[in-house]
Amino acid sequence: MTSIGTGYDLSVSTYSPDGRLFQVEYAHKAVEAAGVAIGLRCKDGVILGVERLLHSKLLVKGANRRIASLDEHIGLASAGLLADGKHLARRGREEASSFRENYNSPVTVQILSDRISAYLQAYTCYGSVRPFGLSSIVGGVDKTGPKLFCIEPSGVYYGYRAVAVGKGKALAKTELEKIVNKNLESGTEGGLTVREAIDEVARIIYLVHDDNKDKDFELEMTWICEESGNKHALVPEDLLKSAEEKAKAALEEGMEED
Amino acid sequence: MWKQPAPANSSFNDYNTFPLPQTQRGQSSHAHGPVGHTQQPLVTGTSVLGLKFDKGVMIAADNLASYGSLARFRDIQRLHPLGKHTLLGVAGDMSDFQWLKKELDALLREEDALALSDSHPSLSPKNIYELLSNLFYARRSKMNPVWNAVLVGGWDKVKEESFLAYVDLLGTTYTAPTLATGFGAHLAQPLLREAFEAKAGINGDGPLLTQEEAEKVLDDSMKVLFYRDARSINKYQIATITAEGVSISDSKSSDTYWKFAEGLRGYGAQTQ
Amino acid sequence: MFRNSYDSDNTTFSPQGKLFQVEYALEAVKQGSAAIGLRSKTHAVLLTLKRSTGELATYQKKLIRIDDHVGVAIAGLTSDARVLSNFMRQQAMRSRMTYGRAIPVGRIVQSIADRAQTNTQEYGKRPYGVGFLVIGQDETGPHLYEFSPSGTAFEYYAHSIGARSQSAKTYLETNFASFENATLAELINHGLSALHDTLQQDKHLSLANTSIAIIGPSDGEIEDLNHSSAAKRGNFRVWENDGVNNLLRAWRRSRGENEDGPQEEEDKPKPEAEAETAQSAEGSEQAPPGAPAAGEDVTMEE
Repeated sequence: MTSIGTGYDLSVSTYSPDGRLFQVEYAHKAVEAAGVAIGLRCKDGVILGVERLLHSKLLVKGANRRIASLDEHIGLASAGLLADGKHLARRGREEASSFRENYNSPVTVQILSDRISAYLQAYTCYGSVRPFGLSSIVGGVDKTGPKLFCIEPSGVYYGYRAVAVGKGKALAKTELEKIVNKNLESGTEGGLTVREAIDEVARIIYLVHDDNKDKDFELEMTWICEESGNKHALVPEDLLKSAEEKAKAALEEGMEED
Repeated sequence: MWKQPAPANSSFNDYNTFPLPQTQRGQSSHAHGPVGHTQQPLVTGTSVLGLKFDKGVMIAADNLASYGSLARFRDIQRLHPLGKHTLLGVAGDMSDFQWLKKELDALLREEDALALSDSHPSLSPKNIYELLSNLFYARRSKMNPVWNAVLVGGWDKVKEESFLAYVDLLGTTYTAPTLATGFGAHLAQPLLREAFEAKAGINGDGPLLTQEEAEKVLDDSMKVLFYRDARSINKYQIATITAEGVSISDSKSSDTYWKFAEGLRGYGAQTQ
Repeated sequence: MFRNSYDSDNTTFSPQGKLFQVEYALEAVKQGSAAIGLRSKTHAVLLTLKRSTGELATYQKKLIRIDDHVGVAIAGLTSDARVLSNFMRQQAMRSRMTYGRAIPVGRIVQSIADRAQTNTQEYGKRPYGVGFLVIGQDETGPHLYEFSPSGTAFEYYAHSIGARSQSAKTYLETNFASFENATLAELINHGLSALHDTLQQDKHLSLANTSIAIIGPSDGEIEDLNHSSAAKRGNFRVWENDGVNNLLRAWRRSRGENEDGPQEEEDKPKPEAEAETAQSAEGSEQAPPGAPAAGEDVTMEE
């Protein structure tokens, strides 16, 4: 990288001569090492999934979750520095709660994403702080229907039908595009049902995971749909298990084809 | 050094006319008059009744919110569930009740959000009651009471037993197998106790009322309250809290009998 | 002066997205003497190796009680540990005061992790230089957490931090499957074996350098219930000095060793002398051991 050693990349409040903020770009690098996180907007809800990499086999099974709840109906899956993820989730909860306090009504996913992005952006403006080393997926169901957003360390955010962040996001995105395109072609604009999507998200996370190179992982999935009472909740154990089995089977099938 | 004695009313500064440098410390806030707090409730709910039975606890309250003696709002629910195993029955100021609901709902919502990460159970009925007791006592100590009397009913999942307790605007707290607020404490509590003790005995160590028996006692008590409490209406709900969770009944009415009123002086047709 | 231009303050990312100041803070934890934690279905225990700075100094305590149901073992900067454990005590008290509830263990650990995170993101602060192992029990049973200066908190079946903790980790990894259903005595024996593995050659676990904390129902066989009401109630309690004698003996017995400890101590007739020998022996182990073993987890990213 040509930026190294120029001195223009030491502070987030310094532009390089060609107008870049290197510290923000470096923050992106912290995301690339993290296990993949996926969000998929479905016709009847939203599903979030992460590949929770295990840095030790002494970690308690099923604990140390990476997806957080921001409000009853909104979840946050982030990839990057774990501690930053907790910080952002806490802030997200405060925003959601203050919205309810002020307007006596649940915040929409769009408005909450907007507020979170403003918070992230503020950490790219001052030399006294560093940006968040996080890409975050915000998903939920509100009065406008199922919604999905992804916010980058710079504070920029877009709405998505499907999105992936973290290590192996390129491969995950290709797979997600196939699903979305299939839906578009068949005219089912709303996409899959969440039930169908569980298997897809599990399959993609298993596909992206590299058994040879990566540490072991646990699959973590949450959803917001009618079946979960329109609340952000863990995908029930039995559904998760069956999705994992199908994902493993699909993976072996794929290997035979190769 | 030896100043003239100041005129007596300079220590008041009644009209806040002193130049700022002369204002004594602590005086400016009083210059606008005494600090005012809630000194009376406005829109109020009347009695709440609570009764333990063999599988849990029931709480009853009518649907009226009065504005003074005016039966102003006749479709108000004064029973509020908090999570799966707790319920509040609230008497007193209805706007304070609404504020309380909002605060507690926000608190429990945060608990639920955190539970996604650590799977820890939410606040128990006892925990919520403890919080309310502290809140009510702290507020009355600031001379700014939360103008309510509250019954907290619930199911303690750890001990596997029902929970029923009282807290009011003075921060007074107590617990008993039968409880009532306000007028109900005078008119209904004896009836509830009588029914409870008839089976369980004075020490409460005998069998408890069944669900049907408990509901009957509450129905009877609500009828008595409707007859004699001028701030009640004949439309009420009963909440039942058991191990399975909270259920709140639809509004219902007592069958009333007014024939005797014909004979009452000043009520019936007689002229004398 | 610096190793590279990206490690002089905590608000600067390296081109690889690393925070060097945080990683250096993790090194401070490895300078501290070892602490080990493990848990079963019913108990959680901490075992630590105390150091003393010389013959005139006492051994530095490494176990801190936070509340009846929570306690921590520290490795790293002791003064940072005091700030954080003080904060934990406040959180624990606040929960008991307002809700009458023992604070959930995961929440109290997260509260210091959140504090530590801000120290990695704001200029003019430094990351804390201490790591905790936290044991506790709440409505969901016994727990063991690791808190680290990077602002993370992870839950473990068993874990070790501090100097030469990799050796203990190796022991724990090969044995942790049996911890779940272990008795308190077995759990402590495993812990002591793991702690033993962190010692340098010719060093031994002794009354002076070993301290053990327990949460969960007491075991009269190995614990002196007459001197600990906390033990009777199953609350957090610490055994050290003479109090740890029974536990050490039981452990040596389980390994088929001489109950009185290693040979050279056998020559000394009196038990007082035993403690003293150990003390001076331990005192010489002041210098932090060399570079930490490779493969120690640096857990900022994941």
